[in-house]
Amino acid sequence: MNNDPYSAEVRRLFSTLLHAGALDGGVRVQRSGNDVVIELSAIAVDSRLDALRFKAYGCPHTLASCEAVCEAFEGQPTAKLLDFSSESLRERLAIPVEKTGRLLVLEDAISALSEVLDADSHGSSS
Amino acid sequence: MIYLDYAATTPTDPAVIDAVSDAMSDPLLMANPSAVHMAGRSSAAATDEAIGEVAALIRCDPRELILTSGATEANNLALIGAARYRADRGRHLVTSRTEHKAVVEVFERLEAEGFDVTWLDPDSDGLISTDDVLAALRDDTQLVSIMHINNETGVVQDIAALGAALKERDVLFHVDAAQSAGKLEIDVKRLSIDLLSVSAHKFYGPKGIGALFVANRPGCHIEPLMVGGGQQRGQRPGTLPVPLIVGFGTAAKLARERMLKDHAHAERLHDRLLDGIANLPGVVLNGHPDGAHYPGIVNFSADGVEGESLLLALEPLCVATGSACNSKNAEPSYVLRALGLSDALAQSAIRVSFGRFTTDVEIDTAVTSYRAAIERLRRLAPAA
Repeated sequence: MNNDPYSAEVRRLFSTLLHAGALDGGVRVQRSGNDVVIELSAIAVDSRLDALRFKAYGCPHTLASCEAVCEAFEGQPTAKLLDFSSESLRERLAIPVEKTGRLLVLEDAISALSEVLDADSHGSSS
Repeated sequence: MIYLDYAATTPTDPAVIDAVSDAMSDPLLMANPSAVHMAGRSSAAATDEAIGEVAALIRCDPRELILTSGATEANNLALIGAARYRADRGRHLVTSRTEHKAVVEVFERLEAEGFDVTWLDPDSDGLISTDDVLAALRDDTQLVSIMHINNETGVVQDIAALGAALKERDVLFHVDAAQSAGKLEIDVKRLSIDLLSVSAHKFYGPKGIGALFVANRPGCHIEPLMVGGGQQRGQRPGTLPVPLIVGFGTAAKLARERMLKDHAHAERLHDRLLDGIANLPGVVLNGHPDGAHYPGIVNFSADGVEGESLLLALEPLCVATGSACNSKNAEPSYVLRALGLSDALAQSAIRVSFGRFTTDVEIDTAVTSYRAAIERLRRLAPAA
């Protein structure tokens, strides 16, 4: 009987949380709900995510998800953020379906970050 | 691993392991104690001796004990059994909102069967007032159930005052003593207790064995929940597990002999733990009234820290969280909420419980780990 509520990947991400923190001078968004608060901050250069950090209050699945997102998208084009799928992350990290609401908060934060970055880049180019 | 979850279950004492192992390998103890042949009589004698030790622990007559699989079964048998037995006299029952689930859910089932339950609220320290209990009594009240030591907070209810107050009434008094048996002196007669639930594994005995005390007095009877076989006077039939009973008896004897020493040890560790967390900002003790607290259970919350993440960050410490947390349910503890804690504080609570085999070094390590974990999680949290 394996009653470990966390997958090996969640444990790996939670134990490091290398992208935890906030960036000075970057854009920042915060979203909350379903017992979690998530803040993403990013610095984009030439439409590429040069740095992506998070701060979060939440369960291990939430923190691990934030870390996974930062790990995946840092260094990628900002447009890639639109590819984020909470369902595929839930499956990859084996997050219980009951915690889907928390992932939707993260999805909302990513979407908001994407919008702010997009607006920022248009503002910069104009 | 550092095990600090003694309130969930205690490590089995080596002397108990030896006793159980010896009983399992002794050909004279492998028989059914109900059998009349030589091996059966040997098994019955060993069983009787062990039950005598359990009876001595709570100062009752051995014939007033019914062996069960543990405190959960004992609570079910006591509450359902007594409520049904006395249903023709009345259908009102009284309990508190901070009881263990093994009591709460039994009362919920009785409510579904048509019984009327009064749920008492504790004060902010977790104490149930004797006056509130008396005020809840009605002409049709049949039973009051209040736990001795709370499994989450360590709060000790004033069982002596409750027993004395209920003594002159025709109301049965049940006490869930899962956390207190073997740790605090219990004299069921002096405390005027009618029904008392005990579990061996909470005081260094084997898992899978417990007992229900049913006072030998008029009106104090239970309706059995099981039938078939007639063992234990038909009140809880089934072949008796001799090795577990022998282990239960050994644990009870050890507990009686070591009670003062174990308690002093728990007090010293308790003080060491509290010294360690005293200066941590935003950390509060839950349910810690002066003079009414068992030292081996300490429950505390940290402002701004999420409980489930705290628990994982504390690994390899084995402690319990303040929520009924699993992958499906992260609801804050109903016990802590009954004490008036906010959902956030209740959710950040951890229960550290320790005992006979816990060392100073383990407590010091727990303090260091806790300090580091809450600092890390607070750094991670966004500003509001």
